[in-house]
Formats: sequence, structure tokens, C-alpha cells
Amino acid sequence: MVLQARNLTVSLQSKDGRIDVLRDVSFDLAPGKVLGLVGESGAGKSMIGRVVSRNLPKNFSVTHGSLTFAGHDVIHGSDAMLAGLLGDRISFVPQEPLTALNPLMTIAQQFGEHLDRIGIRRAHQHAQMVKALEDVRLLDPKRVLSSYPFQLSGGMCQRVLIAMAFVSQPALVVADEPTTALDVSTQATIVQIMRRLQQDHDTALLFITHDLRLAAHVCDDILVLYAGEVVERGPARAISGDPQHPYTRALQAANPSLDGPLTRLPSLPDNMPGIAGFSALKGCRFGPRCPVADQACVGAVPQLRETSPGHWVRCSPACQHGKPVAAPVIEHRADDLSGEVILQASGLSKYFEPPRNWLGRREGPGLHAVRPMDLCVRAGEFVGIVGESGSGKSTLARLLMGLETPTTGQISLDGRDISVSNPQTKQLRLDTLQMVFQDPQSALNPRRSVEELVTQVMESHIKAVTPEARRIRAQDLLRETGLSPELLHRYPSQLSGGQKQRVNIARALCVTPRLLIADEIVSGLDVSVQAQILNLLLDLKARRQIGLVFISHDLSVVRYLCSSMIVMRHGKVVEQGPTEQVFSNPQHAYTKALFAAAPPADLESLWPPEQTSLS
Amino acid sequence: MIALSPRAKAAWQRCLASPRVVAGAGLIVMLIVVAILAPWLAPHDPQEQELLSILLPPFWMPDADPAYPLGTDTLGRCILSRLIYGTRIALYVAGLAASGAMLVGTVLAIVAGYFGGKIDWLISRAVDIWMAFPPVVLALILLVGLGAGVNKVILAIVLIDWTRFCRVIRSEVLVTMTLDYIPAARILGFSHSQIMLKEILPAVTPLIITVLSIEMGIAVIVEAIMSFVGMSVESNVAAWGVMIADARTTMHQSPLSVVFPIAAIFLTVLAFNLLGDGLRRALDGRLVQRNG
Repeated sequence: MVLQARNLTVSLQSKDGRIDVLRDVSFDLAPGKVLGLVGESGAGKSMIGRVVSRNLPKNFSVTHGSLTFAGHDVIHGSDAMLAGLLGDRISFVPQEPLTALNPLMTIAQQFGEHLDRIGIRRAHQHAQMVKALEDVRLLDPKRVLSSYPFQLSGGMCQRVLIAMAFVSQPALVVADEPTTALDVSTQATIVQIMRRLQQDHDTALLFITHDLRLAAHVCDDILVLYAGEVVERGPARAISGDPQHPYTRALQAANPSLDGPLTRLPSLPDNMPGIAGFSALKGCRFGPRCPVADQACVGAVPQLRETSPGHWVRCSPACQHGKPVAAPVIEHRADDLSGEVILQASGLSKYFEPPRNWLGRREGPGLHAVRPMDLCVRAGEFVGIVGESGSGKSTLARLLMGLETPTTGQISLDGRDISVSNPQTKQLRLDTLQMVFQDPQSALNPRRSVEELVTQVMESHIKAVTPEARRIRAQDLLRETGLSPELLHRYPSQLSGGQKQRVNIARALCVTPRLLIADEIVSGLDVSVQAQILNLLLDLKARRQIGLVFISHDLSVVRYLCSSMIVMRHGKVVEQGPTEQVFSNPQHAYTKALFAAAPPADLESLWPPEQTSLS
Repeated sequence: MIALSPRAKAAWQRCLASPRVVAGAGLIVMLIVVAILAPWLAPHDPQEQELLSILLPPFWMPDADPAYPLGTDTLGRCILSRLIYGTRIALYVAGLAASGAMLVGTVLAIVAGYFGGKIDWLISRAVDIWMAFPPVVLALILLVGLGAGVNKVILAIVLIDWTRFCRVIRSEVLVTMTLDYIPAARILGFSHSQIMLKEILPAVTPLIITVLSIEMGIAVIVEAIMSFVGMSVESNVAAWGVMIADARTTMHQSPLSVVFPIAAIFLTVLAFNLLGDGLRRALDGRLVQRNG
């Protein structure tokens, strides 16, 4: 075994006593195998990588169990022994490729430092680097070597880091969310490269991710973590094909599918508690959110038991798990497209002038962020805008909101031109159009209470609003977005990610807008919370006939929500039409490639496809 | 008791837990009490001359007069009383000058950071040029132009030191401007002035308080220098700078009469700096995060 964990427990020593942030984790990772650690943020999945690198946060320590790497005791072994292993026999692929590389050094310098450490002679280094970069399919290794990290794309940086991780032919590579910060098409390439290298060198790979579907394709075995506990463990196929634990089922069901009929996503209540809340979870840690929990689940911590060879589940033996109930089918009916037109944009484009140097000369070419495009949104219509980073989709949102001035084209709301800015058009825009920002952490002023946040728009009225009116409106909005009225006096720092995003949406609803613009509003959320927010948007549509421009990189989410969609690339619209039509019969090569790059739910289909080059 | 946001409450608790803040604030409160109660605390009128008992030593030395605990100066005035009354001038200048500089600097900083572009360029270049002058020389030139007097000193400090506020706070405004809640407020129909007052100002307030405290210490020093060279209060008024200037001529006979006002200045500036430093550590979000 390359990596072997036995009853590994990691605890946080706090004022209120000991909290187990990782409890009783056991697994075996054999050479040439891939083990997936799957869980939502805060489930403790990154802790194992940190135990291996002895990089646990302050006050965290291993309190029980063992972790051995090829016979070496990782927990009690000497620092010198571990330092000898790290970087050579054990290497890491980080989540954020751009921050993991030093921006002041060229790739060659950083790579060279790494080769120095693993003892490769200077004379051989260049050839070795070129070969390693060719292995990760970087087309022009010499140019990459002489570049600085910021001159490369995120995907290229990640390939460089993978090349560095594999160059010493390590026995173990720990990859912590290696594709989360990357675009879909880049993700496919990165996964493919890692699989290839790992198989060629018989390397064991510990693959940490929040994406069960991705893990099912990449890994041989999967460990599903919830609140620091392994809830299910087994071969990837078994876990994905026949999940036993209610949590694994919920995780799998929370991901909208890319084909077949669309059913309403079942969503778990609330969200996983933070570390401080772990000690309050008596019995089964998933119990409070479990749809099928009963009295027995509160009493004792259920033990892992084997349901089929190699497939272990931590759930009470009495639990029948209740077969998933058939959820109502969602249809994007044609009458979605028959409402009155709210927003019409024609020939809309944005060109960013290049910066000028101190002599007034232009430095470099400008940027055509959005090339002339048309857009029409009707009442009750959800329009998805799909594209990778740099496709101009966020600039489009800012243009529609009036945060940027269009270079050409005009926007009309309810048939009235709002391209010229004057008090009337401003008021019209304010009353009709609202925006939900991507990151609620940044979009909610931390110094305002929830009540002040959701009714913030009332402060801008010239007419004074009484505090009672504000309070009542705030309560209505919280109810409408499924938040408890107790949250009225809380502050953003006291809310969970899902609650913050609901407050963010509630604030946009305060003026009862007819059209919402949502820029990647679910990309920062865990899947189970994402399902709650998506269902909330569908409910709003049914209740208010609200229109939505939904900007996302995630095809499955767009398919779930939107009746029509636009695919953008480099500021240009490459494909546009009803969602089902685009999905069943994509016309443009780029759209086809995007679809091919998304991991399908069906494990039998070959993924990642051999050729997913989009660049 | 007003309801505090958890953020404000946590900041308040960090302040209370900081020995720097507690020590600095404690000393300043003591100085304020002394300044207010000066007529009752001082054993003598600070101007009252007793020419028969000049240059008396402090109480622990031989030949001391218990009526003058810290002795007398060349004109037989009570040093303790003059120190106590000097606190009034020091705190008056510290409070008004620092607040004035804060007002000018903060307004310009928020305007520059919020509007950006040409306005930002103009204000930032003005700050650059302003800061290129040596401050003491600039102060002397200003005072020669404005004429002597304690209010003129305050005006001079405001005119010179607004740049300190402007530069520091502008960068904090720029950080705040990158957060999505600023465009969000615009979309919700907030006017420019509403965004500046309701969204940006609260975000930079902790920093303003910190810089204000440090600026008060600086104002105390500048006032002492100006009254030392006779540009501030009239020469018969009890101010610490005046006391140093007076005692300078007889430094060899009674060195302690120079030490007392210097110690008073030292203690006051130390208090403001301790408070400022402690507040910076307690209120700066980045430092707080780093220390867990």
C-alpha cells in the first residue's frame, strides 16, 4: 500500500473542548490507483492532505489512529524523514495554480529549483523540463519555460504544476481540487493528463473534490465525507451507480442531469454545520438533515458496515433508505417564450480602450469584450448565457445593468429606450431590472444587518420610509426567499453561504423587479445548497412571472433552469436558441466541444474524450 | 446601550483585550481629567510670580518648599501648576488640529477613491507635492504668513497634515471599491453621496480612528515646537513648549525644570501612539485574520 490510514482522527483543541474535525477515517491506496475524497466545503476532505504535509492549521492535531506512507509513519516519523519524502516521493497539485507559482520567477527558475531539490544535476535539467512539459501536452515548452506565471493561462499553469508534481516519478500525488478554478474544457484536459501520467508511472493519486460526478469518472475508489466522517466508501462504480447512504444519494441527485427528462431537484434542508457545530451533532452526524432519519439515528453513532464486497456505508442497519421518490418533471414549455418582451438589446457591444502610457500613446490593442449582439427576454423566460472565463458574459451583465456604457447598440425596457442616461430611464431601470452578484461575501456590506440589506433599496427613495414599513417588507422578503424571520437582525458574518445568497436574492427582489440578472450565483455554493437556490429561482418564476438572465459556466444548471440559451466565446455569440434544441442538436463546433468536456452522468461513456482541445 | 453588530462587538472586545489600547486610553483619560480640573488641581495660579523664591528645587531635594512640589522657575512660578495648565493647551491643539486634518483629508480621500480618474489624479498629485515640503519649515512659513497664535498653529497643522489622512484612507477606499456591494448599491439606486456616506465611510472608519489617534500625538509635538520658538501661545501663557524655552536659560542651575515639561510631552505622545498602535492592531481586518 502506498498510503494507508487507520482510524485517523484529527481534532481541533478549542476553548470549548475537543472537536473531531475528521473522525475514524480508514482507507488503503494501492500503487497505480486513484482514491477520491468527496465532500462539501468544511467536510474535512483537505485535512488528510494537510496531515501528509504536516501543514495542519493552528490548534489542529492528529489525536488518534495512524497514517503510513509506504511503511513510513507519517504522523510520528521525524521531520527530516518526512521532508525527504515530500516533493520527491510525495507531491502535491494545488487548487489555485496562479497563486501557487511565484509571479517574480520564470517557470524555468521555479522548475529548476524543484529539480535542484530532488537532486537532478543542472546539466540535465533543461532536457528534463522540456520533456516534462511535453508530457503534459504544452505545445511550446521553451516559450513556457521562459514565461512568468501571469503570462500563462490558469490551465497552462496547472499543467506546469502537474509536470512538476510528476517529474520525480513520485509514489503518491495529492491533488486538492485541481480543476475547480478552471474552465470546463480545461478541466477535461487536466483530468486526462493526470490520469495518463498516473497510469504511466504507476503513481497513486489522492483526488480531493466536491464533485461526485467528476470523481466517479476519475477515481477507482471513492470516500464520501460528511462533517468529518466517512459516510460511504467503496469502488467508484458502486458508489455512483448504487449509492447507499442518504447523503451520497442527495449529493448525486442534487446535480441536474445533462440529458433525459428534467425532474425537480430534491434538496436537503439547511446546510452542513461548520466545525464549531460538529460537537452538537449527536449520533449520526448527518441525522439532522437526513430525509429518512428516525429515533435510532439520534442515539448512537452508526458503524461502517459492508453492504456488498468492498462497499461500506455508515448508516443504521435498520434504515431502509426509502427509495428515491419520483420528483415532478419540469418542462420548459413553449409558452415560456410567449410572454411580453421585457428587455430588448440590439447591436449591443463593449470595446475597452487600451490603457495609455504617460505620453498618451496606446499600449497594446484594446479588448472587444462583447461584440455586437442581440438579446430578448420575455416575462417568465429564463435565458442562460454560457461561456468560459473571458467570454464577455460578465461584461454583458454589467452593460445591461448600466454599470458600463455600451460602445454601440441600444437597450430597451418595456419598449422604452434606456440607452441615454437620465432620471426617467434610471428610475425605469431601477424598477424593472435588478442584479444578483456572484459572491455574496463581497456583495453584502458586512456592516449592515439582514433587515437593512434586503430593504437597502428603500434608503434610496426620496420619500421617507417608516421603520415599520421596512421591517414588514424585510419579513415578506425573507419569507419569499425561504429564510427564517429570526435572521432579520443577523449580520452577513453570522450566515451560511446559502443563506447569504438568499439574502442577496431577496435584496434584488425588494423593488419587485420584472427581470433579474444573475451572474454565476451558484458557482460558489455546495451542490446541496445550489439545488435549494435553483429551486428558489424556479418558484419565483412560477409565482411572479419573473424573467431571468442567468450567466453560468455550468451547462447542467443552465439546462435545468433556462428555456433558451446563448453560448458566448471571446465576446461573440456562437450559438443561440431554445435550450433543448441546443442540447440535442448543437450546431457550432465550440458548443459541441463544450458539451463533450462536461463529465456525463453515464459512467459507461468514455470521459474525458480523447480530443477536447478548444484552444 | 445601542445594539452593536457582531463585527463592532468583536472589535470592541479586541480593543479591551489589548494592553496598548487600555494603557493609552487610560493615560489620555487621565490627561483630560487633569485638563478639565486644572483650576482645582493646581496649587497656584500658573502666572503668579513669587520673585523671592525663584528656582526652587522639587520636593525631594534639600531646600525645597512644600508649597511648590515641583519647584519654581526663573520668575518664581509654580512648575506643577504650569504643567497642569499646559495640559489644556496640548489637548486643545491635539483635538482640534487632528480633527480638522481628519475632516479635510478624509473628504478628499473618499472623493478621490470613489470617483477615480482625473479627480483622483489631481488630489493624489496635490498630496505628493504637499508631502515633498519639509513639514516644520512649511509650518514656520505658514505661521510667519498667518501670524503667531495657538489657533494659527492649529490651522497650520490642518493645512500640513491632511495629506497623511488623505493618502492612507484613499488606499483603503480603493480596496473597498473592489467589493461588489458598491456596484450593488448603485444598482439599488443610491446616489454618489449616499454610497460615499453609507457604504464607504463606515468601511474606513476604523482606519480613520487609528490615524486620528496618531495624528493627535503629532499635533502635541508640533504645538510644543511652535510655542518653543514663540509662534504659538503668548509667552506668558503656560504651555509645555514655552516652559522648555523659559527653563533653557537656567538649564545649568536647575536641569529638572526642563525635564518636567519634556516628560509631560513624552507621556502624552506615548499615550496617543500606544492607543493608535493598539487600535491599528485591533481594528485592522487583515492583521486580525492573520493572527487567527
